[in-house]
Amino acid sequence: MVLRDVVANEKRNAFMLCNEAIVRGALESDVKVVAFYPGAPTSEVLDTFNDAVGSFDYHMEIATNEKVALEICAGASFAGIRSLTAMKSVGTNVASDALFVLGYTGVRGGLVLVMADDPHAHSSQSEQDGRFFAPNAYIPMLEPSTAQEAKDMVKRAFEISERHRVPVIVRTVTRVNHQSGIVRLDGIDRKEFRRVKWRELNEEFTTLGEGARQKKLKMLKRAEELATEFESSEFNYVRDAPSDFGIITSSVSYLYVLEALKILGLESKAKVLKLGTTYPLPKNLIRTFIKGLAKVLIVEELSPYLEREVYALAKDTNPAVTIYGKWSGTFSEAWEYNPNLVVKGIAAALGMSAPDYDSIVDDAKKLKVALPDRYPTFCAGCPHRGTWAALSQALKNKPHYFSNDIGCYSMWIYPPISHADSSLCMGASVGVANGLSNVIEERVVAVVGDSTFYHAAIPAIMNAVHNGNKFTLIILDNSVTAMTGQQPNFSTDFTAGWRQGKKVSIENICRAIGIEFVEIVDSYDAKKNIDVFKRALDFDGLSIVISRRECALYGDRNKRRKGEAIIPFYIDTEQCKKAYVCMRDFYCPCYSIDETDKKPRIAQEQCDGCSVCSKLCPFVAVKRTEVKP
Amino acid sequence: MSFDIFLCGVGGQGLVLLTSVIGNACVKAGKRAITGEMYGLSQRSGTVFVHMRVGDDAYSPLIPYGAADVIIALEGMEALRYVEFLKKGGIILMNKRLMHPPIETSKLLKDKQAKYITIDEIVSKLKEWTPNVAVVDGLSIAKESGNLNAENTVFLGCISVLKDFPLEEKFIRESISQVVPEKSIEQNLKAFELGRKSAYDSLCKLVSCKQV
Ligand SMILES: Cc1ncc(C[n+]2csc(CCOP(=O)(O)OP(=O)(O)O)c2C)c(N)n1
Repeated sequence: MVLRDVVANEKRNAFMLCNEAIVRGALESDVKVVAFYPGAPTSEVLDTFNDAVGSFDYHMEIATNEKVALEICAGASFAGIRSLTAMKSVGTNVASDALFVLGYTGVRGGLVLVMADDPHAHSSQSEQDGRFFAPNAYIPMLEPSTAQEAKDMVKRAFEISERHRVPVIVRTVTRVNHQSGIVRLDGIDRKEFRRVKWRELNEEFTTLGEGARQKKLKMLKRAEELATEFESSEFNYVRDAPSDFGIITSSVSYLYVLEALKILGLESKAKVLKLGTTYPLPKNLIRTFIKGLAKVLIVEELSPYLEREVYALAKDTNPAVTIYGKWSGTFSEAWEYNPNLVVKGIAAALGMSAPDYDSIVDDAKKLKVALPDRYPTFCAGCPHRGTWAALSQALKNKPHYFSNDIGCYSMWIYPPISHADSSLCMGASVGVANGLSNVIEERVVAVVGDSTFYHAAIPAIMNAVHNGNKFTLIILDNSVTAMTGQQPNFSTDFTAGWRQGKKVSIENICRAIGIEFVEIVDSYDAKKNIDVFKRALDFDGLSIVISRRECALYGDRNKRRKGEAIIPFYIDTEQCKKAYVCMRDFYCPCYSIDETDKKPRIAQEQCDGCSVCSKLCPFVAVKRTEVKP
Repeated sequence: MSFDIFLCGVGGQGLVLLTSVIGNACVKAGKRAITGEMYGLSQRSGTVFVHMRVGDDAYSPLIPYGAADVIIALEGMEALRYVEFLKKGGIILMNKRLMHPPIETSKLLKDKQAKYITIDEIVSKLKEWTPNVAVVDGLSIAKESGNLNAENTVFLGCISVLKDFPLEEKFIRESISQVVPEKSIEQNLKAFELGRKSAYDSLCKLVSCKQV
């Protein structure tokens, strides 16, 4: 990330990640309040604002969850202040309660919600298609294809939001958020931040019963006005060609279409309608586009959102047109697209032959037979590995249900550990444990991270207290929201912009709501903790163990800042009796086996010096190096 | 025609920084560039990759199968993992260093006959795809530059000498000076230079390079 480019008050080109371009667009729009809860693939929006705090006067919060983040923005916006939040698709589920009513109440200052879907579930628990939020909540939606367009759309979104007094969704997908490109920087012209006199605004933002009924009518009228406006939006355009074959597309799929047409030599032989305003849709533009066509192909990832509309519009406009897309079997609703798939789809619609990509992939597969998989795993020094070393011992011979949650510890579900009976969405490990604890014979063990605890687990924990549900909850407190890039949360000494923040004590909350068994352990004390976990599992009631140790990556950063050395461990091969306790169930990426003496080795440049493996060795053969090599 | 580079490695090897250096050099050279980057979950010792495309007609952020001009693998095994992206006869520049994932090591623990995959096995498989496979001892060259983390810049030095590489050396140097942390600029410039030198001894015996 090049922060310099994001904050420079210069007009020139820069190479930027789309998420940085989104920040730049918001800064050029003089955004004054931003609030987030992190989530891939939008986390770099948060991170970039976090790094740029010192250069500008916007107020930033890293919120409890997405709903609170959106409500923070709504509050600012009610007072006429421009605000922006960004969240992953499933984050919008959490925020949606507020989102739907904001469609009714409207806003005053521009409010932009960047919502990132994750086709292919690269870093999500589902492939949900967030586009349906827009028509469902009557909230306008723009969809960029490139970093440049993302920046342009964010700027335009603020204007639309203020003109129509409604939040605007800028909807991205992973391949847009995590795409870099050349972006034209406009100047940054910012006004000084001033508090607003609320009483002078003469505003209200309520909705209920009769009020909601009246606002519904206004909302419908607004949707019509937006539809008219979007008919001539610069974000919708046609690449014309003398052809009766047309393609309708949006988002990153537009880029795949351009690539595919190039590969197939069809650049001047297919019309393309690129849609940037995907709610409300420019229906007249679509009608005009499909009017003279014999065939139209819809290229969009996930659900047939555009396709459904095209069928409906074609019925009156051009019933003879053949529509290719998901319903024709040309494309799938599953997984993300790529240029190869789109080449195939276009070729299939036109009945022409396409390059044989399957054989390329098959040939490659044959070469990879002996190639080991490389799953994401815990970093060297990760406290979750230490917790697992003890917890797995305590769970041995103890029949149990393992209720996992969403965080770095989710990786317990991957090989080689592969341990989880369920893993749904943030906080659900505890909700599910409530349900299971009354219906199965075995003990239920749930795990949540600190960030997830604050985000969504507290209501389910209180539910267990009130209803007397008995299970064990392990809270993995590593001080930060690690999975999404070690952002500060309420368990960190810092808050947005690395300002000092007040920690919210997990143990105080647990004790205050009446939990009797609350113990705190150091995640690195792998041997000592076995007994604590055993007692917690045997406790006749709700038991909580807080396993605490800061995230290794975050800890390393702190060490580097303070100039402290990371001192690695090594194997004393004289002492080693090949018990492999240091590595067998520990799976630290620093470890390998020497093929000659069959003894373990530790990669010095990778070792984090956490010491846990050394505590596991019964022969004291894992030793700390005296000096840093 | 675009020049397509597939960059891959293991989380933490500095692929993102390498991408920024190349992209920023494109701005200086007035070239178009687009990337598709994959990290997130994968930063934890998982596999990471970046599709890096330079040129006016590179539309898609993802390189089509069989189209990349070069694969740069900062870790040896990763070159093989993504070989389908390379065009036949393309160039593979791979690190000599292998980082064995825990899942591979646990197989060795279970089965006394099992062995780690070796760099020679990987190279021989890759040669079924292309004759142009160059193995670079990234770590020791980085060590020589004074910065163990500069392996990424060593590889940038290597590909910068390719005849078809679309960016002038001076733009890359300027870009390094702007993008890498201030205290490691000198070391990275040195790593870049050492990478270039090493390429003339190995890579350039396989494929055509810029005149020195
Ligand atoms: C509703 C929702 N928001 C955001 C995310 C993205 N996300 C995945 S894991 C995670 C946080 C994990 O933090 P924590 O529970 O503290 O565990 P850690 O990764 O630190 O071990 C987040 C925010 C998500 N999956 N769902």
